[in-house]
Amino acid sequence: MPAVFTVDPRSGIPLYLQLIEQVKRAVALGTLMSGEQLPTVKALALDLTVNPNTVARAYRELERDRVIETSPGRGSFVRTDNGTADVRRAIDDVGAGILGTAVREARALGLERDAVRTLFDRALERWFAGSGPEDS
Amino acid sequence: MNTIAIHHLVKQYGDQPVVDDISLDVAEGSVCGLLGPNGAGKTTTFKCLLGLVAPTSGTITVEGAPVTPATFERLAYVPERSVLYDWMTVRELMEVARRTYSSYDGARAAELGALFKIDSRKKIKRLSKGQQSAVQLMLAFSMRPHVLVLDEPASGLDPVFQRVVLDLIIDAAAGGATVLFSSHQIGQVERAADRVAILKGGKIALDGDIDTLKGQQKIVEAVFDEAAIAPNGLASDPRVQRLERSGRILRAHVISDAAGIARELEALSPKAVSIYDLSLEDIFLGVVSDAAPTQGDA
Repeated sequence: MPAVFTVDPRSGIPLYLQLIEQVKRAVALGTLMSGEQLPTVKALALDLTVNPNTVARAYRELERDRVIETSPGRGSFVRTDNGTADVRRAIDDVGAGILGTAVREARALGLERDAVRTLFDRALERWFAGSGPEDS
Repeated sequence: MNTIAIHHLVKQYGDQPVVDDISLDVAEGSVCGLLGPNGAGKTTTFKCLLGLVAPTSGTITVEGAPVTPATFERLAYVPERSVLYDWMTVRELMEVARRTYSSYDGARAAELGALFKIDSRKKIKRLSKGQQSAVQLMLAFSMRPHVLVLDEPASGLDPVFQRVVLDLIIDAAAGGATVLFSSHQIGQVERAADRVAILKGGKIALDGDIDTLKGQQKIVEAVFDEAAIAPNGLASDPRVQRLERSGRILRAHVISDAAGIARELEALSPKAVSIYDLSLEDIFLGVVSDAAPTQGDA
């Protein structure tokens, strides 16, 4: 199995949401390629030791989000026709979640908007250094 | 369809209700974990469900019909304590099972025996408690049952075999079986089940889809510059299960609409408002410990 998902059943984040994020992340990173087959619900449930209905729920939502498609008897695959737009959206979803959490927690620490912006700019400097704004 | 339907079940011993008006439906293909402190009524509920104990009142159906001996062709039950004929060898016991149940699958039994490392030549009474539990599970899963009722199926088993039990439940559920099991280990319910029912004092204190509960139940915490203030009516708000105030911190255990509660707290201009996720263990402890002071006050 090329893409290995990890979920934490003890976390307070619903398991099916964790799985959805994992699959989107794998598609975004390219560890799950366009057209690639996902494990069956049963195989993934046994692999992760989680309830199969929970895995099925994640797959249903991923279908609705046009990330994967399921054909009866063949299994579930990363959509091939979604091309850049849907993969882009999957990446955006994951990114928005990560940044949203970061900003929420920074705010919970008591940081003001401007202080968060300063820290954010500093982080951008550090991780995007050399790629330049907009022009690379 | 609800494979298991328990409606208004009451079981009294003397005047003492052990099960006090429990209603629980388990949908076909669902895995429901039953949690609760000792004496909450889990085992009595199972005994009523299986017809081993006559309910004081209430109705129970399995696959749409009252429980009769025929039900056990499709339903497998693993009790909390071993009820095996302990003078038999494992192999003899398997032979009895083969003759008793038309759905018995000998190849599957052998497979499970190997999985649990059971020596089938041994007498049951020569096996450890954990191995006896394993033999009961081996019997139950060898029937390839449509309905499984397991009373603390992993008790007495080491962590490796506990994981095997979870795999068996997950495998059965993936094959369409409906499962109701009790456990003291919340981690097992969190993995194997999609649904949880929490019993307390003979009543269902909380019942729902695990992921939905995790999505709804949150801690909303507000930190103030001075002593924390609680908005009027928040303590009795139906969205709030419990409100705690200590010094500058106000903490609300919220059972729905955490974002709305957070906005209401924002209006009081605190230093910060945070929303924290709750694990099933947090949710369980919240439910089980919550009602205690209220009952004491009454």
